Amino acid sequence: MSTTAALEGVSVLDLTHCIAGPYCTRLLAGFGADVLKIEPPGGERGRRMGPFFHDEPGPDTSLPFAYLNAGKRSVSLNLKSEAGREILMSLLPETDVLVENFAPRVMPSLALGYDTLREIAPHLVMVSISNFGQTGPYRDYKASDIVEYALGGLMYIFGAYDREPLKHAFNQAQFKAGTDAASATLMALYHQRMTGGRSGGVGQHVDISIQEAVASGLRDVVNNYTYTGAIRRRQPNHSGDLQRLRATSDGYLLPNPGLGGGLNWDSFVEFLELPELDDDKFRTPSARLVNAEELGRILDEYFIRQSKYERFYGSHERRFIFGVIQSPEEAMNDPQFAYRGFFAEREHLEMGTLIFPGAPFILESTPWETDLQSPSAGQHNDEVLGGRLGLAKAEQAELRSLGAI
Amino acid sequence: MVIESKSGTTSAPRGPLHGVRIVEMGQLIAIPFAMKLLADMGAEVVRLESTRRLESYRSDSVYQNEIHGEFWNRGANFYEQNRNKLGITLDLGRPEGLEILRRLISISDVFAENFTPRVIRNFGLEYKELRKVKPDIIMVSSTGYGFDGPWANFGATGPATEGASGLAYTTGYEGGPPVMAEIPYVDYTAGEHTVFAVMTALMHRLRTGQGQFIDVSQTQAAAATIPEALLDFAANGREPTRIGNADPVMSPHGCYPCYGEDRWIVIAVSDDSEWRGLCRIMGREDWAEDARFSTTLGRRKHREQLDCVLGEATANWDSHRLMEALQSAGVPAGAVLDSKDLLFNTHLRERGFYEVVRHHSSTEMPPLPYAGRPWKLSETPAVPPKAAPLMGEHNDWVLREMLCLPEEEVGRLEEAGVIGYSPDDPRPVQRPPLDEQVRQGRMLRYETDFREQVARAFPPPNEQ
Repeated sequence: MSTTAALEGVSVLDLTHCIAGPYCTRLLAGFGADVLKIEPPGGERGRRMGPFFHDEPGPDTSLPFAYLNAGKRSVSLNLKSEAGREILMSLLPETDVLVENFAPRVMPSLALGYDTLREIAPHLVMVSISNFGQTGPYRDYKASDIVEYALGGLMYIFGAYDREPLKHAFNQAQFKAGTDAASATLMALYHQRMTGGRSGGVGQHVDISIQEAVASGLRDVVNNYTYTGAIRRRQPNHSGDLQRLRATSDGYLLPNPGLGGGLNWDSFVEFLELPELDDDKFRTPSARLVNAEELGRILDEYFIRQSKYERFYGSHERRFIFGVIQSPEEAMNDPQFAYRGFFAEREHLEMGTLIFPGAPFILESTPWETDLQSPSAGQHNDEVLGGRLGLAKAEQAELRSLGAI
Repeated sequence: MVIESKSGTTSAPRGPLHGVRIVEMGQLIAIPFAMKLLADMGAEVVRLESTRRLESYRSDSVYQNEIHGEFWNRGANFYEQNRNKLGITLDLGRPEGLEILRRLISISDVFAENFTPRVIRNFGLEYKELRKVKPDIIMVSSTGYGFDGPWANFGATGPATEGASGLAYTTGYEGGPPVMAEIPYVDYTAGEHTVFAVMTALMHRLRTGQGQFIDVSQTQAAAATIPEALLDFAANGREPTRIGNADPVMSPHGCYPCYGEDRWIVIAVSDDSEWRGLCRIMGREDWAEDARFSTTLGRRKHREQLDCVLGEATANWDSHRLMEALQSAGVPAGAVLDSKDLLFNTHLRERGFYEVVRHHSSTEMPPLPYAGRPWKLSETPAVPPKAAPLMGEHNDWVLREMLCLPEEEVGRLEEAGVIGYSPDDPRPVQRPPLDEQVRQGRMLRYETDFREQVARAFPPPNEQ
């Protein structure tokens, strides 16, 4: 069986910043691609993203940055300078993939548009991640995660019926787009490899829109309209809804009366040990709708006296598919994640020992590389400029004085 | 559809994954969604179904809510998740059915499934068994919590994995309980990671000739996308608090009412210049002068007051017009699109995001637009879209052309009920009439001329 990394031999130039781009290249690095991160002097903006280690902001203490950039090397390069761009160009013949997530007008304005790059490296897969894609009337619109939720259609149907729409915490739209970009990168690279690889293979430009990443992952939204003419809204909070989130003595639980796909009221009632529900008032869906308020009250009063894990495990013994709401602390201590080794202690040069989330999935014979460092800005200047490009110390000093590195 | 390539020749696109064959034993979203995205890009996906256990996406959300006749060929979510696939029915409870599946796997590159490990083991379909049939097979299993471990056989729904991952705990209105998306959100997160996992394994196989087993835990994929919360706890011992639409740094940052029923806009201001742009467009230069709001820190500190006055100011605006005005002043803002807005959105339309798919004539459904995918590949675009298969639509083709079974054998399998064309127990889900759904508040409204509106905006593609 192979012991090499899955993406060994894949060479990536990473011009990305913040989240969507870095997550794309992080996924590639995690499976063994050689990712060279090109940062502006002083480092990319993602180094200033909180939260920070011990709440102390610094260029190497951003926790999301450390997570998103593990396993990459960093070279600082000023792409606004002619000499900086020349260095980038000289790296292209040995590069398979270039990933960037600037606003769409930036790369062309630096004379680094796809048409320019492909002349030098026709085999190059250039991946551009942007808020709304490289074309269209919103091309230059500005966005953050909440704007993508709104314009991607996920927000309108998210949250309470009688309140403002809501989004997920943190940066889900960016992570979605980063994952999609990593997939599309490998699709384009697969084609390049099938047609000759770095010598003679077919490169191309990949256009990733974060809005479309959100809008392509919806259920019963657009098709409610195309199939019935109806416009779905945030669902009313139905106290008798059996699958509704219920508060327990120690948190929250997601009951689910389904048993292998079908509802069996009697065994549900038996499992809950709630004889009051063994009543025709509640036995059928239409009866439960009529008596929803009473049902909701009985269930609320019941669950608030329960322990969520006890009921969660108990339900699965009977093959009900209850869900449990876990805090980050609880997730980090749950026996399933522990069995899979998802959270693992790692030594970080700046932060010491820290527990990091691991691989998003397990590739059994080509595992995720866990023990990887995130680089300081420009940490690998010498190695890359001197080693790979063969520039002498004096030449490097000159580039530095020109502000190129 | 015909495209013109840079070299000047014309041909229908085949996609970068032309030549990759996938056998899918999927259900609902996590695996079907991922395999659809691979099928879009040229992989040949053969999807198995059972006539004995009807997939719920075939029995629910039926076209025009009309459940007569072959309703199982008119389910919205089945069409959403299974575009560009071949469909066969197979009774795996019978030795002949399992044997056909093994033969299919023996001529395929990938086997993808999202049942519980218990089911897969009962059928003898674990990776170690499949390797005997096809030594370089790539097998991908997508489960709620992972293929191994103490929770391996726990069934899961999208909301359950959203809860277990830590994502739900961190989401919700300030002071309120956790809130989950009203779609099986993590199924999509897992599906997106599954596409990447399969591509990684295909790249590895291309170089080494070796297949492998991919174990996707849907919970784990979601956890990988919330490092902000997990690492804040690991490094600083801090549990996240639910803060609604607020942001730890930006302010104003939220969702504000606009003119009309249930109309909203989101605004996210990250610096002073965006703040001044917002004040100007809202006609409130006095805010820009207000010392409380003059810095990012000050705006964050006084965000409740700020949200309150901003919400009063946005309430008379049309959400789209306000978005356009704010964006033209360099302020990140977006109208909160409902499903109709999203379908008819000018930007998505200009980019060709929705693709019009023709349905089989027996369904009596018109051509309809469906969401595309979040990437555009300039040289190897997606294949022209084909509707998801009718139940058993490709039985004959797969068994006779792909597996070279003689015609009599196929007839015998049909007679024995190993393959079929309709569910054994066809039980549709009858949704309440739309008036009732509006009364219950589940739908905002409905339009009776939607067919005409959709057909006008999304004319079917020209026939070849």
